[in-house]
Amino acid sequence: MLSRIADSLFWLNRYMERSDSLMRVIRTHYILAFDSGTNASFDWKDVVSLCTDTTNEKLKEVSVSENAALSFLINDTKNFNSIKMLISRARENARGVQDNITKEVWEQVNQLYHIINEPGLTTKITGSHALEVIDELDQNNTLFYGVTDSTMPRGQGWNFMNLGKFIERSILTIDITYAHFQKINHQLGQSQDILFWRNLLISLSGYELYLKKYTRADHNISVIEHIIFNPDFPRSLIYSLSRVKRYLNFIITDAKIEGVDQLQKTFGRIISKVEFADMNTIKETSLPHYLYNLRNDLVNFSNQLTRIYFSYA
Amino acid sequence: MIGKQLFEGYGAYTGIWDEMCFQDGIRSQYSQVYNDIAQLPVELLLQKDKQAGELFMNQGITFTVYSDEAGIEKIFPFDIIPRILTGTEWRHIESGITQRLRALNLFLKDIYSEQQILKDKVIPAELIATCPHYTREVHGVKVPHDLYIHISGIDLIRGQDGTFYILEDNLRTPSGVSYMLENREVTKRIFPGMLGNSKARMINNYPLLLHDILGSLAPQQLSNPTVALLTPGVYNSAYFEHTFLARQMGIPLVEGRDLLVDNHKVYMKTTAGLQQVHVLYRRLDDEYLDPLVFRPDSALGVPGLMSAYRKGNIAIVNAVGNGVADDKAVYAYVPAMIKYYLNEEVILPNVPTYSMEDEDARQHVFENMDKMVIKRTNQSGGYGMVMGDKAEEEEIIGVKKEIVANPRDFIAQPIIKLSTVPCFIDGKLQPRHVDLRPYALCGPGGIKIVPGGLTRVALREGSLVVNSSQGGGSKDTWVVDL
Repeated sequence: MLSRIADSLFWLNRYMERSDSLMRVIRTHYILAFDSGTNASFDWKDVVSLCTDTTNEKLKEVSVSENAALSFLINDTKNFNSIKMLISRARENARGVQDNITKEVWEQVNQLYHIINEPGLTTKITGSHALEVIDELDQNNTLFYGVTDSTMPRGQGWNFMNLGKFIERSILTIDITYAHFQKINHQLGQSQDILFWRNLLISLSGYELYLKKYTRADHNISVIEHIIFNPDFPRSLIYSLSRVKRYLNFIITDAKIEGVDQLQKTFGRIISKVEFADMNTIKETSLPHYLYNLRNDLVNFSNQLTRIYFSYA
Repeated sequence: MIGKQLFEGYGAYTGIWDEMCFQDGIRSQYSQVYNDIAQLPVELLLQKDKQAGELFMNQGITFTVYSDEAGIEKIFPFDIIPRILTGTEWRHIESGITQRLRALNLFLKDIYSEQQILKDKVIPAELIATCPHYTREVHGVKVPHDLYIHISGIDLIRGQDGTFYILEDNLRTPSGVSYMLENREVTKRIFPGMLGNSKARMINNYPLLLHDILGSLAPQQLSNPTVALLTPGVYNSAYFEHTFLARQMGIPLVEGRDLLVDNHKVYMKTTAGLQQVHVLYRRLDDEYLDPLVFRPDSALGVPGLMSAYRKGNIAIVNAVGNGVADDKAVYAYVPAMIKYYLNEEVILPNVPTYSMEDEDARQHVFENMDKMVIKRTNQSGGYGMVMGDKAEEEEIIGVKKEIVANPRDFIAQPIIKLSTVPCFIDGKLQPRHVDLRPYALCGPGGIKIVPGGLTRVALREGSLVVNSSQGGGSKDTWVVDL
């Protein structure tokens, strides 16, 4: 497989995963914001700050109203992490590898692109139809996953796509968790009301599973356990990283080139920090440090991967 | 309203060959189409027209117009009424193009080696010396099977009396073949019965024929040579075609940055390391191929590619330097080449062409400007063309001045009123002018032309310019045996 193609497939899926996550965060917050009082601590400013790279001034400007925040998050072309920009970049990547993805996958990315570029979208978002737009995007993003899974041939391309997806997912899970715990100064000792954690858990599609599995009252600890160590939860760190491991192994078996030993070791160190850790480890390191270091390691790992497999430019 | 009334309302231009109408009747190759459409309600035709547009849009068969930062995607307009040629007409076209390509191929071999044709003064040496596309860098380079023109798109037009003329030879990187193939796929969906009953000849084996030829050009005897298609990238207006062909042939689509040259061999950079490439079907012009030899500022090509080519380690398709054979001034000498190399009579004539370097011819052209079209020898796509009957006085004076200053850069041809085909426009059938570009493939086993080609149509009323950049569209083209 051409390095450029592998690179594009990797990023196609990273952008799609990011836009998927962003949609879920927006949707969750939009709906929960109606329940006044219970959710007051996490506001649109926090959402914008979590999902974008913004200066404080800009942050103030777009946080004044729900509409301003929604437009900025969904279809502002000056925000590099708006859904519009993420999908446009996903499509650019798909366009360059059209002969390596199936027609169905291409058409689904195209479809999303046409939805987000529909004239009159801004009016819809700032009118009372925001949820309609978000739902439509969300459904089509989900269709992308379905179509990819049911039509893409398994092989090196598929492996790189999944590698991108799960590296991105691990980083997103860390970011979203970090932002919510920051609201309570990362205090694991206290116990917030479950209503406080609902926003975080629904944003990660893990609320119902949490309720089934964790019946204790010390939610702060349980939420962390769920998000980091629950292997049945598809957005937990342990699950996402185990997927990264799986696809990395496939890739290395197929393309054993110079530098892969080092790459495998780098990743081994990262996953062992989760596989062989428990709540005590986290308490010792302190939660913000633990999450911060893990995120850094993942970014470095991704860069190392890029150097080894995608260095064509 | 039904289709029959549309035909009754169709007014073919007088004095111009219409592909469907003949005096008051319908030519026999159109009888099936006539009978079928005559019975259809106009609403259904409108619906089919819309459906065709959607089929192109959904498949992403679009080109991008960069008018603002976003870029708008448009489809290449498609007209639903097919253009139909008879088997007899096709046989004539096929033999004419085959003859022309044989001669042009011998010309390229000659001009980049012995240059016998110049020594025999059949073509003036100055003409070649002043041709911007004559490429000294490939003089003496041996190409596989002595084949230079593997893929060509030769444009034909049809005059008032139905004679086919050669308008232009495109021997470098002709495009449009994907439209020819997709047009047929769309017709299959919108007029299945009509197409089936007409027994139009098959065209969809083109990618397979092309793949065979590409594979046969590998420099060494390899059972499974690596063939790749080189594209300038996603921003190229023909990018859809590049992906289409790569997909249909099952070969990798590469960009310049995917390739490197090491020890005069060309490699692709893959996730499993370097992989040698043996045949490159490039859709990149000569001047961008190799920054070490041609334009040094080009980032689209591959440094060192020409050294691998000279060593015979890679086959480049079409060969480098073909531009000298499709130069608009050299065009006038193709009939002489046919005579010189093949000793045959010309089957498909040229449009009469006046060299602007010849004083008498120039005088004649200047006196009859209203009947002439002036073309620049180094431009394509319908750019820089001056139609003597439509141009403003100022434009004519301007172009005359330019001709006097640089006569080598211009040719003149009498304006030929291209034949017309009915088009379904605004709910009515209206005559529009068309040309024809059959796609020929030359391999070691000979020349193959898929029956038909791309019919380009000038959608603006009365316009004779069919280029897509100037408001042109296309039609499905059928060859039917009567």
